[in-house]
Amino acid sequence: MSGHAALARGPVTRPAGVPKAPSKLPKTLGMLTTLAVLLLCIWAVDAPWSRLLDAPSAFADYLRLMSEGVFANPTLEPQRDYWVTAGEAMLESLQMAWVGTMIGAVLSFPVAFLAARTISPAPVVAVTRMLLNVIRAIPELIIAIAIMMPIFGFGPLAGALALGVGSVGTLGKLSSEAIEAVEPRSVEAVSSTGGSKLQVIWWGVVPQAMPEILAFWLYRFEINIRAGAILGALGAGGIGSILSQVFRLRNWEQVGVTLAVIIIVTVIVDQISARVRHRIIAGPKGAASEHRDPVAEMG
Amino acid sequence: MTTTAPGLKAPSGSRPPKPGPRWAVWIGIAVAALISVYCLVAIEFTLEPLVTNLTNGQVVIEQFLNPNWEFVWRVRDQWLVTLEIAIIASLVGCAIALLLALMASKVTAPTALYRVMKIVLAIQRSLPDLAWVLMFAAIVGTGPLAGILALIMFNIGVAAKLTAESIDAVDPGPVEAAQAVGATGMQRARVAVVPQVMPSFVSYSFYVFELNIRASLVIGIGGGGGIGEVIRVQLASFNFENISAIVVALVVVVFILDQLSRTIRRRLI
Amino acid sequence: MPPVRSPRTSARSDRRRSMITFRDVHVTYPTGTKGLDGVSLEIPDGEFVVVVGLSGAGKSTLVRTINGLVPVTAGELEVNGRRVDGASRRELRRLRAEVGMIFQSFNLVTRVSVLNNVLMGRLPHTSTLATLVGAYGGANKDIAFDALDRVGIMEKAYTRASQLSGGQQQRVAIARVLAQQAGVVLADEPVASLDPPTANAVMSDLRRVQRELGITTVVNLHFLDLARSFADRIIGMREGKVVFDGTAEQADDRVFEEIYGRSLRAGDVAAAAVSIEGQQGEPAAEA
Repeated sequence: MSGHAALARGPVTRPAGVPKAPSKLPKTLGMLTTLAVLLLCIWAVDAPWSRLLDAPSAFADYLRLMSEGVFANPTLEPQRDYWVTAGEAMLESLQMAWVGTMIGAVLSFPVAFLAARTISPAPVVAVTRMLLNVIRAIPELIIAIAIMMPIFGFGPLAGALALGVGSVGTLGKLSSEAIEAVEPRSVEAVSSTGGSKLQVIWWGVVPQAMPEILAFWLYRFEINIRAGAILGALGAGGIGSILSQVFRLRNWEQVGVTLAVIIIVTVIVDQISARVRHRIIAGPKGAASEHRDPVAEMG
Repeated sequence: MTTTAPGLKAPSGSRPPKPGPRWAVWIGIAVAALISVYCLVAIEFTLEPLVTNLTNGQVVIEQFLNPNWEFVWRVRDQWLVTLEIAIIASLVGCAIALLLALMASKVTAPTALYRVMKIVLAIQRSLPDLAWVLMFAAIVGTGPLAGILALIMFNIGVAAKLTAESIDAVDPGPVEAAQAVGATGMQRARVAVVPQVMPSFVSYSFYVFELNIRASLVIGIGGGGGIGEVIRVQLASFNFENISAIVVALVVVVFILDQLSRTIRRRLI
Repeated sequence: MPPVRSPRTSARSDRRRSMITFRDVHVTYPTGTKGLDGVSLEIPDGEFVVVVGLSGAGKSTLVRTINGLVPVTAGELEVNGRRVDGASRRELRRLRAEVGMIFQSFNLVTRVSVLNNVLMGRLPHTSTLATLVGAYGGANKDIAFDALDRVGIMEKAYTRASQLSGGQQQRVAIARVLAQQAGVVLADEPVASLDPPTANAVMSDLRRVQRELGITTVVNLHFLDLARSFADRIIGMREGKVVFDGTAEQADDRVFEEIYGRSLRAGDVAAAAVSIEGQQGEPAAEA
């Protein structure tokens, strides 16, 4: 440590012995590759990019028409009809999503135990997990088209069943993880009192894992409301069918009202669900759970 | 009258109050049950068709169980298009999402701004991707462009929320240090916040890419091009064997992507 | 090019100029608790002051009002001729550029290199655009390297901050302050997370740097032996008021007991070997 001049404001000479800076090459290379891939895709996809130029003004026009529809007097025709139609369809979407989530919850609950390493033997866990992963990879859309609608016809019943079966995959996986996360101490406490395995599960594991599982069910409900839209477009009822009709007719005022209904209802449901989930997880003690990776949760 | 073991004190009078019955739980269960019954009735829930209509469905299911594999190869161009759409939408969408996330967090944005942004993002997330596709298809015409734009919107919704939550959970120490040095808000965000959320952000970006592939069906049916477009056409002609082949291929691709994506993301965090 | 100021240690006339002035300062937190209760102090340029007291006595509040991290509710506070109370955001930023701070938990960006952490001290002198891209420029890097050299860890410049020990990380924090070329250094419990020998080493580094550069330093400590061995002047706080203000020699155990309002305990002392002048130029092995 040499003696330095006292503190000077402003520039300073670089001391001797500065270590060598690491190479910037890998990082620059990475960024260039990403840029190259992006440009390649843009060129290859052969989309009419020029249309983007007209887009903003067209969008602005449509937006104006949509807001006119929304802010026009809702008690007069035809606005009243728009609001009522959209409202009924949204209600149907909610019902469909609720039943679907319920089915998914009921079916996934026992399966989750089969997929939990702390409860079931390893081969059972492996098979169940594989099954769940396969179900998760199948889009609800296909379940609806291939199975539910041929058997149950058009309408929200088919949609609900498709959502239900589709939810089993994700809910099963997440619930099994919640079960595995239960502290072994509480399980030991119960099993040491000498109960059957089922009793141990019911009294030791379920109360611990339930808040998280309930939260997953609620979150799945939010997702199913949106997932139901595409099913509706194929005939399962709900807001989806209305959407495709309305856009096809290019009746922008009605489009505006329909979108407004979707936004309002979805935001309200999301808010309620978020608050309830928070209360459930926080629990009577009011302790917040630690921050977990939400992406892993979403599966 | 309790009998106490010899040597033990009799319990003194003041016990802690017994916690009240958890009525919140019971009310919750009751409400859920009521809603469930209402919904079941409203959608006319019945499993009867399983018995009566099974033969009807059987025809379709049979066709589905007979996939036409050759078709998958025939539409290989569309697979590429789907991939390209997903890549473009992920890169562009996530970049925009990062900026929006910085604006939507208490840590990096002034109060007025982040409250507004949180509302804007909530509204944007509330529209299902189908609505976005239909909207953009009406503006720029059907095809991959509409699909890309719709997916960008969808990606922004997902990634901005996740990233904003990560930003909210960031270690405040370095941010305070940057504040104590006299840095501006943007400098604080760039120097103290962004390095902390980078791994999570990249992880979310991979996740979003995977979601885009999954969403290609919906996008295509709504008119956004790619493999979903193929399904739409086939659906109109009831070619279930073709649809089935594509779906199986898609499921396999998504499955593989899912496993890959998990491993990459685990390594990042 | 800004003019190079003459070294402060030799300017005798500067020495008695007040760097930090508190005039009947009150701080009340939004929760209603009183942080500072009528504090009046003058800290001349170049002095090494240690503030002691129980947690909640106001020592942390005192230190944090100096750079405006805690707002002053009433009274006047002047730092280097600038008024801190009621300063606008821009004025605060300018003030903070001249006041360096080190924290108990180091507050480094752990995923990033040591050099980048020290460069944080140059942020007020770097444009926003340059910061966004990460182009600090040669002059700023020179200052950063010089700062790292002064605390003796220049060879770690490109190491990730998370790979350093606690003592090394605090040294990086000191280097960050040096890079600011600040006139005042604040330290909020800088050694509370370190083991006694490392704490000693960091404190002597701080003292050495302060002596070399003549910077006004206000340190918040709860280890009494460290306070006595390193401070020019000790300020004892209790319930938001200054209850003792004197030299280290004047502060014996009885004085501390008065400040603390109780008899001293083992936790009040950092133990280990206490050095008076610090190890000149030879920091402890792992620190």
